[in-house]
Amino acid sequence: MAEWGARLRPWAVPLLLLGALELYARTVAAGSDAIAPPSAALVAWFGALRDGSLWQGTLFTLGSAALGLLIASLLGIAGGLLLGLSRRADASSTLTIELLRPIPSVALIPLAMLVFGFGLRMETAVIAFAAFWPMLILTRSAVRQVEPRLLEVSRVLGLSPWQRGWKIVLPACVPRLFVALRLGVAIALVVAVTVEIAANPHGMGYAMMIAQQGLDPALMLAWLGWIGVVGYAVNALALQLQQRVARAMGGAP
Amino acid sequence: MTAPLLAFDRVAITLGGREILSPTSFEVARGELVCIVGPSGCGKTTLLRAASGLVAPSGGSVRRNGVAVTQPSREVAFVFQDYGRALLPWRTVQGNVGLALEAAGVPKAERGARIDGVLAKVGLAAHAHKFPAQLSGGMQQRVQIARCLAQAPLLLLMDEPFGALDALTRHGLQDEAARLVHEDGLTVLFVTHDLEEAIYLGDRVIALQSNPGPGRPSLARMLEVPIPRPRDQLTTKEHPAFLRLRRELFGFIEQGHG
Repeated sequence: MAEWGARLRPWAVPLLLLGALELYARTVAAGSDAIAPPSAALVAWFGALRDGSLWQGTLFTLGSAALGLLIASLLGIAGGLLLGLSRRADASSTLTIELLRPIPSVALIPLAMLVFGFGLRMETAVIAFAAFWPMLILTRSAVRQVEPRLLEVSRVLGLSPWQRGWKIVLPACVPRLFVALRLGVAIALVVAVTVEIAANPHGMGYAMMIAQQGLDPALMLAWLGWIGVVGYAVNALALQLQQRVARAMGGAP
Repeated sequence: MTAPLLAFDRVAITLGGREILSPTSFEVARGELVCIVGPSGCGKTTLLRAASGLVAPSGGSVRRNGVAVTQPSREVAFVFQDYGRALLPWRTVQGNVGLALEAAGVPKAERGARIDGVLAKVGLAAHAHKFPAQLSGGMQQRVQIARCLAQAPLLLLMDEPFGALDALTRHGLQDEAARLVHEDGLTVLFVTHDLEEAIYLGDRVIALQSNPGPGRPSLARMLEVPIPRPRDQLTTKEHPAFLRLRRELFGFIEQGHG
């Protein structure tokens, strides 16, 4: 009994909030164009599931987030390794990085639209820009924090520079790279939905905007809730991957 | 008399404008186990790092087999005190030992047998697939020693290798190290701050003192240890020569602190 109680406890608050919203939407705000009861949103969600728009929107958003994050990770990790290992490269790029990094990624939407037009490439480019900086900065600091004793061990054992990078520096960075990756996942999802709401006529964000403009609060609420669920699932997957890799790399069990 | 394996010729080391080691000369013969003892901050670790080529002397020269040492070499193995940091936490015991073989370009087919060989020597054969975090401190230090043995070095440099271990583990590892060194005919330079450990293990003990300066050289004493081997944790430490050396060095270390 106690075990069931502990397992159900995290669900108490969300269920209570949903119940309160249901009550509010059915009494005080009945017939509102802004608020719909969650039960109506659930019905709308099944509607979207049935007509295929749910998966279409979800796959577009997740696909562009994944693609953008992949580009950001490849470039960010490669650049971070370079900046972390070479003082000269770091000194000659610090100003550029500090000038470019504070640009809000959303401010790039007009430029990206001009260059790529609407669609996957434009959205991916903005996501990649947004996620690139944390990947770069965190990889650079991960490289700098590699245990100096391990670098000495590699000198004493006579490892080549290539072996040192591949067998010592990169694996030593992996735990911190995963922190960067999980941050990148969150940023990629946020930016993807933002780009869709602001400009790109695809994906979950756009579907939500269409529901809003069509004065369909139930469908809008359905998308909002679904975006939350998808974000939760993606973060949970990333966390699980991180833990699995940590175990395979000899982390504390 | 054969040529010395390692020769310090008026080696002086200054770091950040501070004299760490005043000109110091000594030689280590092939197969000899020389212990370096002294209070903390006397430059004994720096001296060891100079012997490995990790630190370049500011004056004089370190020679191995007559050739000046300018950078680390695979002929020289280094056992660090902080085994927890010197092992790759993401590699198993055999992976850590294998790193030495990968560095030396040993073909993959030969590695397995050589890893098994050194792990058996240090008594870790049953733990080959464990990660360092799953082992005790003493066992982790054995892994590091195994990695050094896998290098098949001419010279083994040990920097307070047992300093962080409890007394019982330390005694066990001391005897094991002495046995391995004599089985393999290794030449060893062993740094410690523990007088008894230095006398117990060494063929010769070199005592360093801190704050060198004019009229106060770093190298304070050089003593032979005329105690036969194999030595024993109990009887050796009651040997008259052991007690005499201990008294002599103890007085010196006390002065060093005073």
